[in-house]
Amino acid sequence: MTDESSPYAPHTPAETEAMLDAVGVDDVEALFDVPDSVAFDGDFGIPAHGEREARREAAKLLGRNDELTEFLGRGHYTHYVPSVVEDLSSRSEFLTSYTQYQPEIAQGFLQALFEYQSMLVELTGLDVANCSMYDEATALGEAATLSQRVRSVSGETILVPEHLRAGKRAVLENYADGPGLDIESYPMADGQADIEALAETVDTDVAMVYAETPTVRGVVEERLADIGDLAEDNDALFCLGSDPVALSLLERPADVGADVVVGDAASLGTGTAYGFGLGMFATREEYLRQVPGRLVGASEDADGRRAYTLTLQTREQHIRKERATSNICTNQAWVALRAAMHAAWLGPDGLVDLAEDCVTRPRDLAARLDEVVGVQAPVHDGHHFREFVAHTDQPARAVVDDLAADGYGVHAIGEHLIQVAATEATAEAEEGFVGAVTEVAK
Amino acid sequence: MSFDVPDDLRYLESHEWVRTDDGTARVGITDFAQDELGDVVFVELPNEGDEVAAGDEFGVVESIKAVSDVYAPVSGTVTAVNEALFDQPELVNEDPFGEGWMLDVELADESELDDLLGAEAYRDQTE
Repeated sequence: MTDESSPYAPHTPAETEAMLDAVGVDDVEALFDVPDSVAFDGDFGIPAHGEREARREAAKLLGRNDELTEFLGRGHYTHYVPSVVEDLSSRSEFLTSYTQYQPEIAQGFLQALFEYQSMLVELTGLDVANCSMYDEATALGEAATLSQRVRSVSGETILVPEHLRAGKRAVLENYADGPGLDIESYPMADGQADIEALAETVDTDVAMVYAETPTVRGVVEERLADIGDLAEDNDALFCLGSDPVALSLLERPADVGADVVVGDAASLGTGTAYGFGLGMFATREEYLRQVPGRLVGASEDADGRRAYTLTLQTREQHIRKERATSNICTNQAWVALRAAMHAAWLGPDGLVDLAEDCVTRPRDLAARLDEVVGVQAPVHDGHHFREFVAHTDQPARAVVDDLAADGYGVHAIGEHLIQVAATEATAEAEEGFVGAVTEVAK
Repeated sequence: MSFDVPDDLRYLESHEWVRTDDGTARVGITDFAQDELGDVVFVELPNEGDEVAAGDEFGVVESIKAVSDVYAPVSGTVTAVNEALFDQPELVNEDPFGEGWMLDVELADESELDDLLGAEAYRDQTE
């Protein structure tokens, strides 16, 4: 607590004193009951700065960023965000640190979130979508715990593809730790699930099978229905990871037997900056009361007009802490709002056009790189979405470093493997990129 | 207003009733309880074959104004659950002692029934 007033804090020391007197305690600390064992009693080591100094400092830090043209992918995708999204979402009615859930004052925001949910329902073919989770990794963790709650027989294993991004796996393991779930991997073959090996692995002890399309290697998973059948035959839930752009072109998850769909919806509405995520979560109606997070429902007010409100809140921890479906409180409402705006602006046809671009661009770029001496692309057979893996005769690490020196960012994912993402956002840079690869891959 | 309290049942202070028949106990919530809760919109029950213990919660009744845990008056194995309540939770309001029943439990210990309230004692509690 500061002993002097500040332009950013509303209470003067005298006012604070008066309030403490009124409730009959000596100091602010007395209002909190934080055990010493967990209380932080140290110095954050953050020196105070004036505003101008802070701006200078921040600019200096930002200046250390590489100015790379990104062909990165692997969970972060750049799509052009129409300026209308920036403009509308920045209106003060929307842009507040307090998520607006009170139906009396937030009909507009609630309607936008309802539209976002409706979009996910349409894209997944499932019945219910929540209005966001923190990110795709937490959505996956929530799907795993949901599978344990809704399954009629006991089973503690969650099966995931061996190629799963490390961060996602770490979050999932964290989630699994409390309820005692085991995370096990099934092999992949040529960038897709190895169905035969998966069939060997699935048994009645499996609570959930998780698969992704496109896979972490950018390959469109072609045998999702088989995975769905394997899960169903063993009374396990089938959880599918994807994203709204891919789903506007690929088969609907509900049609291949998916029980839950998770993923990152932030490929719409926000750029790749800030590490933003937008966890999407959709499932079947029979699991409605087991859905984590917030649900916006459409109802009618006393005058019979359509009205929106948060619904089925008894699932949530602020109603019943010990019986809540989930203890996540983080919601990405404003990010979901932007995703909904972006999708609405594109419309169904625009979304499909964008998705088709995500198929043709990587295909064409891979074909061009394949003609470069020292590069074979794509490594995997099958259709790709947004990204592909290429083999380099030179060590991949060196290729990545040399490309970075030329101003291009790609991932090294193996001794001689790089991963390249291409969307409409990288179109103008492709010519230069191919030229740079030609130079460094010899 | 006076509530229906059938004489042939036994009761818990937490407003559950038990009707016994040849070693099986049928369990539900009372007329008073459904009135207190208001319109019931959801009922969560255990699975057939689950064990319940006297005094422990076995399910949840959710109404438009409250969420309440429901407690088992007796211990034993669940032999039937009223699946009609999943689609028609309002049966709890309409017919709490009949169509609105919740569980059938195979009694593990008949002497537990002696610890429950009779109709008279329960009536006194709710008036």
